[in-house]
Amino acid sequence: MTELLQQLVDGIGRGSIYALLALGIAVIFGVMHLVNFAHGELITVSAYVGYGLFTLGLHWWALVPAILASSMLTALGIEFAAFRWVRNSSDFTMVLTSFGVHFVVQALFIMGVSANRRAFARPSWLFETVSVGGVNLEVYDLVVIGVTLLTLAGTVWLVRRTMFGMTLRAAADDFEAARLMGVRSNRVIRGAFVLSGALAGVAAVFWLMRTGQADPTAGLTPMLKGVLAALIGGLGSLGGAVVGGLALGLVEVLLISRLPDGVVGLTDGMVFLCIALLFVFRPQGIVTIRRAERV
Amino acid sequence: MSGDPVRHVLGPILGSVALFGLLVGGALAYTATGGAARDDLVTQMLINGIMVVGIGVYVGNTGVMSFGHIGFGAIAGYTFAVLAISPERKAQIIPDAPFGLADVSLPPAVAVLVAIGVTLVAAVVIGLGLTRSGARTGAISAAVITLALLFVVHEVARNWTDLTGGGRSGISFSLGNKLEGRTWIYVLLFASILVARLFRQTRIGRLAQAAREDDLAARAVGIDPATQQMVALALSVVIVAVGSALRVYALGVITPRFFFFEYTLITLAMLIVGGRNSVTGALLGVVVMTIGLEAMRYVAGPDVNVAALDWLLRDGLTGIFLGGAMLGFMIFRSSGLLDDWELDAWLRRRRRRRRSARPDAAPPAGELPPPQVNSLATSDVTVDFGGFRALEGAHVEVRGDEVVGLIGPNGAGKTTLLNVMGGVVTPTSGRCIAAGRDLTGASAHAVARGGLVRTFQNLRLFGSLTVQENVEAAALMAERHRAERPGPDVESLLRGVGIWEHRHRRARELDYGNARRLELVRAAAARPDFLLLDEPTSGMSDAESLEMIDRVRTTAAAVGAGVLVIDHDLNFIIGICDRVFTLDQGKIIAVGTPAEIQANPLVQAAYLGSDLRTPGET
Repeated sequence: MTELLQQLVDGIGRGSIYALLALGIAVIFGVMHLVNFAHGELITVSAYVGYGLFTLGLHWWALVPAILASSMLTALGIEFAAFRWVRNSSDFTMVLTSFGVHFVVQALFIMGVSANRRAFARPSWLFETVSVGGVNLEVYDLVVIGVTLLTLAGTVWLVRRTMFGMTLRAAADDFEAARLMGVRSNRVIRGAFVLSGALAGVAAVFWLMRTGQADPTAGLTPMLKGVLAALIGGLGSLGGAVVGGLALGLVEVLLISRLPDGVVGLTDGMVFLCIALLFVFRPQGIVTIRRAERV
Repeated sequence: MSGDPVRHVLGPILGSVALFGLLVGGALAYTATGGAARDDLVTQMLINGIMVVGIGVYVGNTGVMSFGHIGFGAIAGYTFAVLAISPERKAQIIPDAPFGLADVSLPPAVAVLVAIGVTLVAAVVIGLGLTRSGARTGAISAAVITLALLFVVHEVARNWTDLTGGGRSGISFSLGNKLEGRTWIYVLLFASILVARLFRQTRIGRLAQAAREDDLAARAVGIDPATQQMVALALSVVIVAVGSALRVYALGVITPRFFFFEYTLITLAMLIVGGRNSVTGALLGVVVMTIGLEAMRYVAGPDVNVAALDWLLRDGLTGIFLGGAMLGFMIFRSSGLLDDWELDAWLRRRRRRRRSARPDAAPPAGELPPPQVNSLATSDVTVDFGGFRALEGAHVEVRGDEVVGLIGPNGAGKTTLLNVMGGVVTPTSGRCIAAGRDLTGASAHAVARGGLVRTFQNLRLFGSLTVQENVEAAALMAERHRAERPGPDVESLLRGVGIWEHRHRRARELDYGNARRLELVRAAAARPDFLLLDEPTSGMSDAESLEMIDRVRTTAAAVGAGVLVIDHDLNFIIGICDRVFTLDQGKIIAVGTPAEIQANPLVQAAYLGSDLRTPGET
């Protein structure tokens, strides 16, 4: 029982990070109909910024705003350098563009820094455990869950209560109609990228605390998890992305703790396979992917 | 038409020979002046050529994005390696191979065949999944499913150590003296080019390309893309399996990393840079990217001593080139260097231009099929969209020899009724019966094969196919599925609406009026019993739309089809129709001759009396 509780908390902690990543992917899918396979590059950039500042001797607390800022700026930069130019192209073009960005950023880091892994110390207090009613919980998980809740609350407020949020939802619903109503497409898309950058920044802080290292492919795994979670949630749906992230985290933790040793390495593949099967057997979308097409 | 041997057989064969000759000739000239490193590079390039041509057979013809072909390649590569390596070697590296594979030893040629078979089984499974997920041009579901294949195969390869030797060491081996020169590579490369090039001209290939251009429009003329996609996938996977086995053979080692993300990116970049819609483009992409990557490696290497490079680490250059090429082409030229340009098609066009001085032959007289006594009827069709009732008990009847109009204010349900007939919308209740067949709820392509062919309000042509190919796609379908019914040939149809002289232009280059005319004859080429026309004159000038009256009537008469037409242009409706149905708020409120409809007070009320005066009286 306590073991299960521990795993649940662990899974929710893990899932929170995925949820933040998936949310950023869903926001962009909403306004651009683009599955952003370059989302992980925000983590990569954050990792190097974090590493750089850490070696300068800055404290962990000082890294957080720097990482957030760099993640948002990178998101804007990628939008400006690549996605802006393929905005109304086919899905084919957009997906390959995001792969192109992924590989260019990765190669830039290999070129500018090194292909080697850069490790740095993680704050030790995070990985102490506290005992609540016989259940041993890692401080890290509690921090992640708490901060994620705050971030999600902030996002909900932003999307529901602000002018920007309204334009974002309108654009996600029907971009052309929103434009005719005076929503400026540049502004809303840029805003969506900044928002997804901020969410990825928060996720990046947690990710770095856990891994404590930077390398050119640091973004690959978080990108994959984020895309998978967003797919589970139905891609365009913000609520779905959060649910998808939590579900993915929980499933992973439960699978890893229960599967025999030889098969644990297959976890990612199995999750991927399940999602592919969902596409096969519920082609109308796990929540909704296709839009009604007027003929 | 399909029996144009120069265009569909001879040309492609000669083109393939020429392509192969150019590629191999260039490669040999390059190796003749260099050492062993060049030999290896060329070997790799030729094998990549097979892989990219193979991927192009699927991605190019169907437009469905696949990240999974290298996953298929991994399956083929491992199957080949495990079967072909000698038992002695296996005892060293994978002594615990399951299914008694440790003792199996097949000659390489047989191992390749088995590898193809195993990979094909996987391809059929994935293909069925893709079909069910509704794969079409650029579909995200297809990208995810194929990506899943790539990852699953990779993880299995990494973890099933007993069979694959695991993630790090993989399986290294030597099968005698490697490939004994490149004979096999040459043979298989040529075969791949030939098969890929010919496939583009086959019936299935051309129908696949039509569906690539517009899935819905293809279904509307009776093309079911599932069949074409499956055949294209199977063929492309066979080629990829052959290429992968060769790759493993030539390298003498296979690890999971060899057939994963990076190789997927390299092959896709080659395909995209050259132009995924042509075999010539695929090969050009292979050459260009190989040269580019090699140049990057050279710049990054110790031979180049430029100060500016010293502050950078040079390892990333190839990655920048690869990603940058992908990005640049996506942004500036997403159809690649050559788009769908084929060497042999170009040569044929040149020759034709030289001869085109002589005038076209006179149009052969279109022979009329026997008069039709069919009828198309919908009875009591009701459609609910959530809480909104779009149609309520709509009843429409069209005889096979008349032109019937369907009018009504915006939102009356006209297009919904057409969508019900066309198999796009399933009615909540009611039936749709055409020529004695119940087509209610049938899928769009089945409806078209049943004799109901529609056009679209917002023009849906196969944009990058030529005018002639647009019509041929429908005609190819009709030859197979409407064989019992005679129909005019493509040429007389095109001449009938006056766009024969545009036949070699791409459909998307046509002006609006001609595009509408093309959509009309494309529908007619499917040999329908009934043509359903959704606003055939929208966007046309008054003069053009009056002229369209004759076009529609003669075209319908030429195929012997009845017509149901929706339009807002009342002059057109009154000019063309024998009878007119009027819809208002989902119900039929009046039926009659155009004159009766104009006089009907209910109709006048529905239109607020504004538009229904005698034509010309504006």
